[in-house]
Amino acid sequence: MRQTSLRFRLLGEKGQTSSALLSLALVPMATILVLVTVMFWVSIQKGAVGTPSAIYTLNNYSEVFSDPFVLRVAANTVIFTITATLVALLFGLPIAWLAERSNVPGKTLIYAIMTLGLLIPGIYTAMGWTLIAHPRIGILNRWLVDLFNLNEAPINIATPIGMGFVQGLSLSALAFILTAQMFRAMNPTLEEAARVHGMGYGKILWRVTLPLARPGILAAVIYILTIGIATFDIPAILGLGNRVYMLSTFIYLKVHPQGAGLPEYGITGVVGAFMIIVAGLLTLWYSQVLRQGHRFEVVTGKGYKPALVPLGRWSIAAWCFIGGYTLISKLLPLLLIAYAALTPYFVPPSLAMMRQLSLSHFYGMDWELVLRGLTNTAILVTVVPLAVLLLGFSISWLIVRSRSRARYALEFGAFLPHALPEVILAIGALLLSLFVFGTSIPLYGSVWLIAIVYVVARLAFATRALNGSLLQIHRELEEAAFVAGLSTFRTAWRVLLPLIRPTLFSVWIWSALLVYRELTVAVFLAVHDNITLPAVIWSYWYSGSINKASAVTLLMTLVLAPLILAAWCFGRRSQVSAQ
Amino acid sequence: MISISRLQKRFNVSDGVVAAIRSLDLEIAEGELFVIVGASGSGKTTLLRCIAGLETPDAGEIRIAGKVVSSDNPPTWIPPQQRKLGMVFQSYAVWPHLTVCENIALPLAEGSQRIPRREVAQRVQEALRLVQLEEQSDRPATLLSGGQQQRVALARAIAVNSRIVLMDEPLSNLDARLREEVRGKIRELAKQLGSTVLYVTHDQIEAMAIADKIALMQAGELLQVGAPFEIYHKPTCADVAEFFGSVNWLDAQVVEAGVADSPLGKLQIESSSKVGDKVLLGFRPECLSLSDSGANCSNSFQAKIGSSTFLGDQFIYTVIVNERQLFGKNRTIPQSPDGTALCRVSPSDIMVFPSRSKNGG
Ligand SMILES: Nc1ncnc2c1ncn2[C@@H]1O[C@H](COP(=O)(O)OP(=O)(O)O)[C@@H](O)[C@H]1O
Ligand SMILES: [Mg+2]
Repeated sequence: MRQTSLRFRLLGEKGQTSSALLSLALVPMATILVLVTVMFWVSIQKGAVGTPSAIYTLNNYSEVFSDPFVLRVAANTVIFTITATLVALLFGLPIAWLAERSNVPGKTLIYAIMTLGLLIPGIYTAMGWTLIAHPRIGILNRWLVDLFNLNEAPINIATPIGMGFVQGLSLSALAFILTAQMFRAMNPTLEEAARVHGMGYGKILWRVTLPLARPGILAAVIYILTIGIATFDIPAILGLGNRVYMLSTFIYLKVHPQGAGLPEYGITGVVGAFMIIVAGLLTLWYSQVLRQGHRFEVVTGKGYKPALVPLGRWSIAAWCFIGGYTLISKLLPLLLIAYAALTPYFVPPSLAMMRQLSLSHFYGMDWELVLRGLTNTAILVTVVPLAVLLLGFSISWLIVRSRSRARYALEFGAFLPHALPEVILAIGALLLSLFVFGTSIPLYGSVWLIAIVYVVARLAFATRALNGSLLQIHRELEEAAFVAGLSTFRTAWRVLLPLIRPTLFSVWIWSALLVYRELTVAVFLAVHDNITLPAVIWSYWYSGSINKASAVTLLMTLVLAPLILAAWCFGRRSQVSAQ
Repeated sequence: MISISRLQKRFNVSDGVVAAIRSLDLEIAEGELFVIVGASGSGKTTLLRCIAGLETPDAGEIRIAGKVVSSDNPPTWIPPQQRKLGMVFQSYAVWPHLTVCENIALPLAEGSQRIPRREVAQRVQEALRLVQLEEQSDRPATLLSGGQQQRVALARAIAVNSRIVLMDEPLSNLDARLREEVRGKIRELAKQLGSTVLYVTHDQIEAMAIADKIALMQAGELLQVGAPFEIYHKPTCADVAEFFGSVNWLDAQVVEAGVADSPLGKLQIESSSKVGDKVLLGFRPECLSLSDSGANCSNSFQAKIGSSTFLGDQFIYTVIVNERQLFGKNRTIPQSPDGTALCRVSPSDIMVFPSRSKNGG
């Protein structure tokens, strides 16, 4: 008979077992705190970081903030982020309105396009748009130059605005998801009241719907800003080769200097710390806006069905808009990547080129490298989603069932990675493995380091989804199991997990897919042994082998396609939308 | 079988602290069907959950079958898994992803008792037979009706441990007709198995119908514990009397030994109250009898007949005596040509409590 003191139980009624759960749940929170601390710690060192010869000083900060180059990079980042947000809303918001508030036909297809859009890696769009509008090789530029006899390329995608445009195309799927949720939660009777009192559809949209939607749109804007400001992959693909830098790519340059330069970790730490603060402030603002949004939230009951705006012949225009978006954001980039993968060298498509299509790049690629990448990616795709499920479930279970105040800390801890951009997690992990663990824990250059960062990064989404679905389960179902003698583990395994299986599956497949396509963390942490498939693409691309990069991308897509299809089928069933 | 002393449980809520149970003592003997009844929010569920180990008490001691399962001194805590109780939840908590048979087998096979496979099958069959669900054994539990799910929950509880079974409002989700039938079955089954049952309900009729012993709970305390007959006819306080049925209340004063002066006039009472004491008298509507003959027996008074309501098996009617309205219950309506009748209430039917600011009406 076990006897434990009543006073020493931290959480809830389940005694010892819940403290085991608790320690599991605290792991990710601790990881994040360590990563952030390391960032600040490194930012105040000069000389050999982490050794006794390091000098502790604030010079790094004054150096960074007085450097005109850094200021230009910061300005670039601002322009880039604003453009990206505007473009994302330009496409995402109208399509969300069409899908939720109009009678446009083919809504399932709209949802398919937009949800799957989240899964199409940003690097695809970026690579595709390089091939379209790069000043030297972009086909659009070449055609325009030929057509109008221009001296130089009219479009330059490798500018902050151009990159922002591409980033916006990639983020519009997210803008869609966020604003569609908002339109769905809006009380349709308010619009009906306007209609009954004689207002036309246009007037209602302008005077009622959009003002009501404003808090929701603002929240979406902040959310997208937070992502945009720290995004790495698209600026890297489009900008690094052309020496146009954002904060994220600037950091990359400091860690992986070109030529004979030495890494400047102190500077990296400063920029990282700065990004943490900006991201933190944005997240604070975001939660503020959400809370205010709730305050005048026009509560809807289940029974409400919004009156759909009849589009009539405007449906055709609507579908042209959606089709156009799909074309420039997804289809055209993919098509050009496929084309680049099959042509010997990249020139605009022509009949002559079509005759030269071959698989030569597939034979010519470094298969040892590709297979290494594939192996590592396979390891990550297997391990990370399972770890995410295990930790996410423990955290959610505690959050949902515990009555102790500790659950607020847990909730906050699970939300933290959501506030921290992946670049920050990646650099934090890099610095940690280099300067804290060093040789004592050989994580640097190992695939497990990447795995840890992935798990932490995916956790916020997983706990949110699992919280929602555990809340649906009547508390007595698990209490009946406890009273009937089932241990905590068996209760989870035999009662809870089977009941939330659809959510588990969809969290699993989303995590797997996002891990599969992830570039940022992989690029920062990949050395030799732990390179992932997307990082292989990146290394080809960065070294100028555009065609080989495209060939690997095509390979990757072939594997991705069936998985995306599965995600769609199951995702629809359990109604989990990714963040 | 279950004994509780000084039990206390508070909850922290957003606007302060709720004392769900305040220093409660309770003793349940083996084989007893013990019913805890009380209004909603009086702490019944919390008490049951403390016994099951689903809540941790703030103070006090709980023993089950002589063994301390939870105590503050010395600090002891046995998790619910090891308390070996059968429990029927208000929502039934039938696991929806399993079949009827699996619902009962799961705790046997994988619970703390670890019963070997062959015996599990036997015990599942036995439990299903007892609740007459053998036919449904392989159906998914969610396809059953409410009453059948309730029986699955019952079968699971007695399969785990038929010695001690806790039930939290097991009938509240059934419709009225089914409730009477099922409560009879539950009592029958409990007696057949010799189980000690702790049964919680908010329905006083259900409580009286099923109980060996009833405890009335109010605001986290037990007001009275006793057999149904005793608690109905010999309540120790006015709250108990009123909970178990309507009462005609009269403020009165004892004028001589065994006689009180009330709004109805002088009434004989069976009480040892001192002369001059202010008392509260109460009698139940069915104790108001109509005598058409002899006006000379004690405790009778002339009343004006008021309205009446037909309930099927009887009438509820009002009579007015000295401007006081009283309720009566009878198989026939009092009728007389002049609209008055002679009413009587026997001294032994009058409950006497110390006075308080309670008015009849
Ligand atoms: N988990 C809880 N948190 C806060 N208050 C609770 C909780 N459970 C019960 N209470 C409060 O304790 C009191 C008793 O509740 P309960 O035992 O459910 O009553 P009953 O079952 O008799 O209706 C109520 O005031 C209720 O609000
Ligand atoms: Mg209750």
